[in-house]
Amino acid sequence: MSWHRVFVARLRGLIGRRKRERGLDQEIQFHLDQLTEANLRSGMSPEAASFAARRSFGAVEPMKEQYRTRLTFAVLSTLAQDLRYALRTLRKSAGFTTAAVTTLAVAIGANTAMLSVVNAVLLRPLPYHDTERLVMLWTESPSENLREGRTGYWNIEAWRQSQSFVGMAVFDGVSVTLTDAGRAERITSARISSSFLSLLGVVPAAGRMFTDEEAAQRRRVALVSHAFWQAHFAGSPGAIGAQIELDGVRTQVIGILPAGFHFPKLDAQIWEPHTLFPDWDDRRAVRGVDTWSVVGRLRPGISIQQAQAEMTALARGLDEHLPPAERNRGVTVMPLSLHVVGPRARFALWMLAAAVFCVLLIAATNVASLALARGISRTREFAIRAALGASSFRIIRQLTVESTLLAVMAGAAGSLLAWMAIRLLGSLDADILGLPSPIGAIAMNGTVLGVALALSLFIGWLVGLTPAAILRRRNLDLNSDSGRSIAGSAATQRLRRALVVGEFALAIVLLFSAGLFLRSWHHAEGVESGFQPERVVTIELHTPLQLPPPQRINFYNHVLQEVASLPGVEKAGFTSDLFISSTREYVLTTETGARSLPDRVELRRDEVSPDFFSTVGTPLLAGRFFSHTDGPDAPPVVIINQSLARHLWPSSEAVGRRFKFGPADSGGPWFNVIGVVADMRRQGAERKPIPQIFESLAQNPSGGGSLVVRTALDDPLRIAPAIQSAVLRIDPLAPVAAAETLETQLASFLLPRRFQTLLMATFSAIALLLAAVGIYGLIQYSVVTRTKEIGVRMAVGAQRASIFRMILGEGLKLSLAGLTLGLVAAIPIGRASSSLLFGISASDPQSLLVGVFLLLGVSVLACYLPARRAMNIEPVAALRNQ
Amino acid sequence: MKRHGPDKADVLQGTLILLVLRTLDALGTLHGYGIARRIEQISQDVLHLNQGTLYPALLRMEQEGWISSKWGASDNNRKARFYSITAAGRRRLIRETGEWKLMASTIERFLAFDPASLAEERE
Repeated sequence: MSWHRVFVARLRGLIGRRKRERGLDQEIQFHLDQLTEANLRSGMSPEAASFAARRSFGAVEPMKEQYRTRLTFAVLSTLAQDLRYALRTLRKSAGFTTAAVTTLAVAIGANTAMLSVVNAVLLRPLPYHDTERLVMLWTESPSENLREGRTGYWNIEAWRQSQSFVGMAVFDGVSVTLTDAGRAERITSARISSSFLSLLGVVPAAGRMFTDEEAAQRRRVALVSHAFWQAHFAGSPGAIGAQIELDGVRTQVIGILPAGFHFPKLDAQIWEPHTLFPDWDDRRAVRGVDTWSVVGRLRPGISIQQAQAEMTALARGLDEHLPPAERNRGVTVMPLSLHVVGPRARFALWMLAAAVFCVLLIAATNVASLALARGISRTREFAIRAALGASSFRIIRQLTVESTLLAVMAGAAGSLLAWMAIRLLGSLDADILGLPSPIGAIAMNGTVLGVALALSLFIGWLVGLTPAAILRRRNLDLNSDSGRSIAGSAATQRLRRALVVGEFALAIVLLFSAGLFLRSWHHAEGVESGFQPERVVTIELHTPLQLPPPQRINFYNHVLQEVASLPGVEKAGFTSDLFISSTREYVLTTETGARSLPDRVELRRDEVSPDFFSTVGTPLLAGRFFSHTDGPDAPPVVIINQSLARHLWPSSEAVGRRFKFGPADSGGPWFNVIGVVADMRRQGAERKPIPQIFESLAQNPSGGGSLVVRTALDDPLRIAPAIQSAVLRIDPLAPVAAAETLETQLASFLLPRRFQTLLMATFSAIALLLAAVGIYGLIQYSVVTRTKEIGVRMAVGAQRASIFRMILGEGLKLSLAGLTLGLVAAIPIGRASSSLLFGISASDPQSLLVGVFLLLGVSVLACYLPARRAMNIEPVAALRNQ
Repeated sequence: MKRHGPDKADVLQGTLILLVLRTLDALGTLHGYGIARRIEQISQDVLHLNQGTLYPALLRMEQEGWISSKWGASDNNRKARFYSITAAGRRRLIRETGEWKLMASTIERFLAFDPASLAEERE
């Protein structure tokens, strides 16, 4: 059969369809005229002639119908008809259409937006070549519970024997001073080995990468980021070969990186050879732990497990070459993608994605329930159509067209909502999700839109065709009662009840999760931070490059004096680091009477000015703050935090004690503890404060840190320009950064939690609303269909109050069933999410109770209206009305 | 389309194509009415055709590429669509003729068949 020729002919038939049909009409008319004429010639009367002609021609309309189905594809030719009919039907029941489209649009919108986030953050590969085979290699330290430790260069060189990798590249981020046009600023430089870019599969947008020889010769060459190129060279091609001054050394720009290039957790503007550290010869010999990070590319066919096994064996073999303290460490091989978004943030995102999917399920359930009720009332319509000769296939097709139309409308509206939500997300603060990558990268792409459309269609069909399937099982009998068969509606009501129970089960799971999130957030917000952050600004400040360390303290003193004397400033202090970027283990030896006790402690050392603590509002628990007498010539003094005081001297006063770094026989000085301050949450509210040591800035002046200024202003940032110009007056080459408020900085630790909580709360609020609407619709419908029954009950003496209780009870029974079912699931789900919680247990009874009462309250409210309606039924009217 | 069970038009369909192709092959270009007339004339009014069914058949044959059509003027100078057989149509005609003859002779044999002869063969 030449089906393809017919196919093409029919395709062509699609185009000139109208014309062809008009042609057929002409042919028919011609044919009939000719027949009539012939009949007339044979002597018939005009009426008889035309009648006989029509009889020998046969029925015209069925023939035309046959002709039309043959002319082009039958499905297509009737599709327009179905579509018109569907539009009319949907318009006629505007209430149903609006409810269904709105409900689905909100759910689809939320899912599409969430999917965009998940896609951008978790699924989309990093912008490198063959990302799946890129891994990070860390030094593992089981005894310190450390999986992602940075490594010494000697070890990395030894790792290169491994057969599992195509290559490894090292990198380390440092802060350097860029001097340009009489101003200095601190920027981040990535010190990378020469294979770094080629390992990722990234090629510079202009210029070239430095060679291995250039790195070995420690040539001052650098690549710059696209943003740096735009900011400092205005995007000019002349940048290649130009000189910039980094840490006072002239460096040649040899390449520009592509615009989208970034490496996770390494937000660098400058990319230089890894050999440029001033102490390179020492650093390359470091065995054990140091500051290098390693990225490697797996050989094709080698799995991460194989690489891990080889590296573990290799690390064990290195032990005999390592100093005793550096032994017994392993190597962690982990996918680069896991380095980008850690397991906790990943889990939180998946959790939110699951939650929003539950919302979709609830929405779909609601719409399905609506459609079922509507299907019952349409039984008569379908029966009439079937009686007029519509095949059940045709009726189902009609329903499919209707559902598709509904789904497309909901999908379109949902995509619009998602687009707005994503725009909103894009305008929020960057690391709100607890993610390192720029949030602006979240966008709706083809994949996401495709999934959204598929989701809408799937749900539309599911929802639209369920009634069809149910109707099909029953006979479409026009004569059955009024076309609204009681038995059928009872079966449907049973299904709708089951749907409401399911809805409530999902809703309680969401509400419980939201409760857990909200209470965790509340706990985290309530943590004593050790700061009084109101009206405090912080500005990063470094000493000018040329300043020798002994003169740094003069610079700091000068700056602090000038800033403190500015109008609107109450107090000013300085710390080498306001928030903790890294910690280290130290051996501490305390002097206890005649004996010395060495102790290994993970702690943080910083240097602070005398007024630092009083500026940020950290209370002094014992002893005193630093004063200007604690200078370089005075005996070394320290202030420690409460955690360290409790650790070193659990049972006695810490002030007045002494300790030193290293073992007792080390040459280091003894430090006098002069004060104990309250614990400051310098790693965010949710991390337990670690032991901290503060030295006097005058005794150990660091190269830079944070200036903290307590102001008298409601908007402390207004003082920033005055502070910056005060610093530049003292030294125009002092790198001084932009100001931030301390409140913002502290709040930023909680941003991800706030965001997750907000989303979870929103989702569960939607779920609650949908569940209420669902149960309201069901009970309302039940009352309407039971009007007669209720009338009978009243006629035989039922009290109005008992009718009210009966209807309310019907709703409550359903919601209780849903609650019970949901709680069975909610408890394990809560337990699974315990890593995301803070300060509460995974089976927090308060979250549970609030969720249960909220849901019950809402369902009582939702059933109240139909129950009142039932109570007010007039028995006489109800019975007369049958 | 098949929901009314075995359709009489369908049974006729096969022969109708043969008749139309044969008519067009013998008489050249004709309009729909002409084809219908000729079929009835040639069959000496034995075959009574529900003439309307001709048109869907003509459409199908044109889609198959067996006939072609164009608009022209009839004897009484009216606008009419004229059909003529194509090369593919002639090949089809030969095939259909062969199949029909085979069918006809087979049916013939069945009708001429004498039960006695079968009984003999059984022994």
